[in-house]
Amino acid sequence: MKTIGLISANYGSSEFGELLENRTLASLPYGGRYRLIDFALSNMANAGITTVGVIAPADSGSLIDHIGVGNPWSLARKRGGLFVMPGSVYGMQKSGSRFLMRDLLKCDRFFYKDDADYVIMSGSTDVCNMDFGPFIKAHAESGKPITMMYKKVPRGEEFHGYFLDINDSGGVNAIHNESVGWSNYFADCFIINRTYMLDFLKWYKALEYMDMIELIRDNMHSMDIGTFEFRGYLGKIKNPWEFLKVNQGMTDYDIRNEVFCNPERPIFTKAQDEAPVFHYPEADVRNSVISTGCIVEGRVENSVIFRSCHIAKGAVVRNSVIMMHGTIGEGAVLDNVIVDKYVTINPGVKIYGGEREPVIIGKNSTI
Amino acid sequence: MKKKKMLAMLLAGGQGSRLYDLTTSIAKPAVSFGGKYRIIDFGLSNCVNSGIDTVGILVQYKPLVLNRYVGTGESWDMAVNDGGVHILPPYAGAAGGEWYEGTADAIYHNIDFIDMYDPENVLILSGDHIYKMDYNLMLEEHEANNSDLTVSVIEVPWEDASRFGIMTADENGNIVKFSEKPKEPDSNLASMGIYIFKWDVLRKALLEDHETEGSSHDFGNDLIPKLLGEGKKLTVYRFAGYWRDVGTVQSYYDSQMDLMDNVDSINVFTGDDRVFSNANMYPPQYIGREANIHNSLICNGCTVYGSVNHSILGSGAVVSAGSVIEDSIILPNAWVGRNCRITKAIINEGAVVEDNAVIGDPEGDVQVYGKTNLSI
Repeated sequence: MKTIGLISANYGSSEFGELLENRTLASLPYGGRYRLIDFALSNMANAGITTVGVIAPADSGSLIDHIGVGNPWSLARKRGGLFVMPGSVYGMQKSGSRFLMRDLLKCDRFFYKDDADYVIMSGSTDVCNMDFGPFIKAHAESGKPITMMYKKVPRGEEFHGYFLDINDSGGVNAIHNESVGWSNYFADCFIINRTYMLDFLKWYKALEYMDMIELIRDNMHSMDIGTFEFRGYLGKIKNPWEFLKVNQGMTDYDIRNEVFCNPERPIFTKAQDEAPVFHYPEADVRNSVISTGCIVEGRVENSVIFRSCHIAKGAVVRNSVIMMHGTIGEGAVLDNVIVDKYVTINPGVKIYGGEREPVIIGKNSTI
Repeated sequence: MKKKKMLAMLLAGGQGSRLYDLTTSIAKPAVSFGGKYRIIDFGLSNCVNSGIDTVGILVQYKPLVLNRYVGTGESWDMAVNDGGVHILPPYAGAAGGEWYEGTADAIYHNIDFIDMYDPENVLILSGDHIYKMDYNLMLEEHEANNSDLTVSVIEVPWEDASRFGIMTADENGNIVKFSEKPKEPDSNLASMGIYIFKWDVLRKALLEDHETEGSSHDFGNDLIPKLLGEGKKLTVYRFAGYWRDVGTVQSYYDSQMDLMDNVDSINVFTGDDRVFSNANMYPPQYIGREANIHNSLICNGCTVYGSVNHSILGSGAVVSAGSVIEDSIILPNAWVGRNCRITKAIINEGAVVEDNAVIGDPEGDVQVYGKTNLSI
């Protein structure tokens, strides 16, 4: 049951404004020390997958800087390893499409040259710790060519994407774009027989402008698709407010335990080797996540602070995310604010974001 | 193979028995330091920050943690072609095997290793000191003096001199006498256990010392007196920075507290010569709603619900609700239950402190609590 993995990172979103000006959604910093793509890469690594392709956006400096040759995920190796393949420019324009046929056709060698039985195809921007072992096993036992991963979501909640109409025997009847009446949310992850993938690319070569999931949806009648339920936490981030909320999820005991503290399936990321956090005598930190290299003299509440930030005396950071190398001056107050990397907030400056509309402070700026 | 100007041999085989339970299953150089570091990080980081890319690490006592921690040396940028770190345990030959009998004996058994790189000079280091040093400056003096051996020394208070190996030097820095823990010292220059030898001189001395009856095969006791007696040129290199031998529980504790209390005395954390560690894959620390943390160093992977004051929490340490940690060091992955009171104590790596425990005495000596548990 040899399985290889393909992660698509060639998609963005227009809802993040400055946060995605110089980076892709997949390389958006998360949780104090991570980037969103770490979850997909770690899920692959933890399932013992040693050949992983990443479809990178045309402009992917920040992504490549982060994943390098794949050392943190044990992917720097002689047999297999990490393959970063440039995707099409089209990817970043067609917002939301995960598995562009154009990109898959462009990197078809990845599917040809390996002898694996299966390929796990995954998006790169959800916060989750998935155990691919049972997923691969269920797919192998089903005999079906494709098995799609889904998560049951409460009706009425704001999930955007594909929803699966699942029949009694666990097969897919139809795929819908709306959640109306359907609560089986497609988790941007499916497993496909490698030879079937090669056939699929041949059949739909002419429709290269389509997304693979759209093609499956439109040709449902000729395909036998299985399903697999993911019961864990799935942190979806589609706008700055969700980015803030999902970051704050790290302060939730259950989420933190499930996603980050599973000794069998750690989340790996690029190591930085910074100093322990220095909590000064005046520091007052509550319900927050703080990364290494930080110096905290002020007050931090319900927030996520990335590495090497300085929260000066009398400063208050509440319900906010401060990315690496932020300096929050004396007496400054931030509430519902997302602060990008290398930002200086001058002493005494007060910034209040709306509850569903956090203020974003762009990279390298001084306020 | 490219000839090396200097390679380093790092002595890491010692037990460090005065650290008691801290070293029952870990060699002293691999003992945790400052929350996320291990003592050997200082020697290895000094090497890479001095441009030395080839280091032999001599191991003997309980080397498992040390071996795993050092790995390929990648964490210290030493996973390089033509060099890198080499773990050198005692080995067997056709005539059987032998343990390393002394510091010089450990080097003697690895003459072949050093010959492989054919360096001009060999730097001998102890793997159990806390300091930052640019070995290049020492090498420059060594070469300018055309010395056969340069010994790094530090001035110690006269009243402490009888606890050290003392070098007596003339006004030009030439060593005229070496005395191990002299009762009546005539110098206050203590040897730091850091030597630069010309390799050909050291090589010859090691071969001869090996054949010498009654030798303890030790650098201080045997090699240095021998070279002095032969009229070789031995000089001192005066070092003036922060340097601590963390051989006792008290000195081990004090030196870590310096990271908070005397932040200007040694800058471990930043700058071009900062100390590297084999960084672990822990999530950032989580500080709970009721937690209180003041004047403390807290590492990645920590979860804190209780109160922590003037203490260090190592990677992955947990402090449960209602517990109060004061003037203490919780080593990596130790778990402190609810409503404990820990004062002036060191909780061992991976140790478990049950609910309601009271450990340590604010007026007494620093206590070490718990057995090392590395399976976490």
